[in-house]
Amino acid sequence: MNIEDFFSSRLRMKILKILSEVGELNISGIARRLGVNYGTTNKHLKVLENEGVVKHKRFGRIRIYRLNTHSPKTKAIQDLLEVWER
Amino acid sequence: MSPYRSVFKDETKLDINYVPYTLPHRDRELRLLMEFFSFLLRVPEKMTQRVMITGDVGTGKTALSQRFGADITREANKREINLRYIHVNCREYRGSLFLSLHHVVSIFHPNFPRRGYSAEELLGILMQILDEQKAHVVLTLDEFESLVEREGSEAVYKLTRLQEIRLNKPQRISFICILRSLKAIEQLDASARSTLQSNIIHLDRYSKQQLTDILNNRVSLAFKPLTVSEDTVSLTAELAFSENGNARFGIELLWRAGKYADAEDLDTVTPECVRKAASSIYAVIRKSDVASLRLHEKLFLLGIARFFKQHETAYVSLAEAEQAYAVVCEEFDVQPHSHTQLWKYLRTLSTLGVVKTEVSATGSRGRSTFVSLPRIPAYELEKELINILQKEKS
Repeated sequence: MNIEDFFSSRLRMKILKILSEVGELNISGIARRLGVNYGTTNKHLKVLENEGVVKHKRFGRIRIYRLNTHSPKTKAIQDLLEVWER
Repeated sequence: MSPYRSVFKDETKLDINYVPYTLPHRDRELRLLMEFFSFLLRVPEKMTQRVMITGDVGTGKTALSQRFGADITREANKREINLRYIHVNCREYRGSLFLSLHHVVSIFHPNFPRRGYSAEELLGILMQILDEQKAHVVLTLDEFESLVEREGSEAVYKLTRLQEIRLNKPQRISFICILRSLKAIEQLDASARSTLQSNIIHLDRYSKQQLTDILNNRVSLAFKPLTVSEDTVSLTAELAFSENGNARFGIELLWRAGKYADAEDLDTVTPECVRKAASSIYAVIRKSDVASLRLHEKLFLLGIARFFKQHETAYVSLAEAEQAYAVVCEEFDVQPHSHTQLWKYLRTLSTLGVVKTEVSATGSRGRSTFVSLPRIPAYELEKELINILQKEKS
């Protein structure tokens, strides 16, 4: 995905901010914080996961998402958030 | 005005959650506990253990277990064994297996969702986490009675037989169950009971001399030198001894006496301060228990307290309690909850030990429930509840 497409979504940026603040969260928890439904949240998480920026762990029916700190893209996004939100 | 001065050096050492490095008169039990769990430092994957600690209120059950937990975790860390000691007060989670387990899981994953799965699934999730992290846990279920009361044999069986359904997998969870007496587990079926009763450590009530030693130990940690006389400690020990050898009561009394001394700008904590403190304390019900109630549970309890303040009777019927609650709701400008809800609240209050309920089967029109306040003065309870409710309101 192009960088301009990746950063074009407010919800995706919000998800990244939420995960960098709370560490990890399930889909419903993220959706609640975003104020959108489960399906929309899931769709954006898939985009982020395809880019390697987030990853999930499965516990039975529950998926817990967190930032993939091993990815250089994630590191760059975290730096950006830190500078921007400081 | 004189600058603020205090008899305290570090009052946190008198806090209910503080666990001292040494536990006077409990060293033998601590050694025994270490002995039961010594395999965790040698072959943690090969076995698990279940121990029950019994004893009356204030005999040091929780302190013993937490001291052990801190000691064994430190030893395990030195040997690079990933061991966690987790202490759960089942009563704080209203005796629910699900909520107690959720607390354990949330130590590893702090935002773990609270909905969408059963207690059994949660147990599986916990084992998955422990396997992934190659971790071992000593899980202490404090106030185990409330879990037994609410969940019964099945939950206990599930917990204690957990390892048996994981054949050939590393062992992960050992248990310490803390309860006042073994009576509580008599209601369990034979198979659940047999999984528990192998190792029992019973803590006897403290003698007056033992309480004096415990209090002296805390005085040296919490108060400035020469601020607490021998007489003061002795009186405090005497009062704690008369409260069934309850060390926790004695320690709380000492803290309050120190507060009275500070409030009156005294250099020392006098026996008079202890007497004042004693008249304002009730040991059996913890203030934190009252504070943790939900709004309508508090309002219902306030109604009951007011009823007893106004009537010289030992019992209030549920119908009368409901009327008193309705008046309180009007005062606090909230809509009263239904009869069914009040039933649930009454069960919670009864589980916490704040009220006692009795069902009378007499009369042709069915059974009536009667409520009593066995241990707390209604006046004290009302004052406490109003304080909490006003704080919450502001």
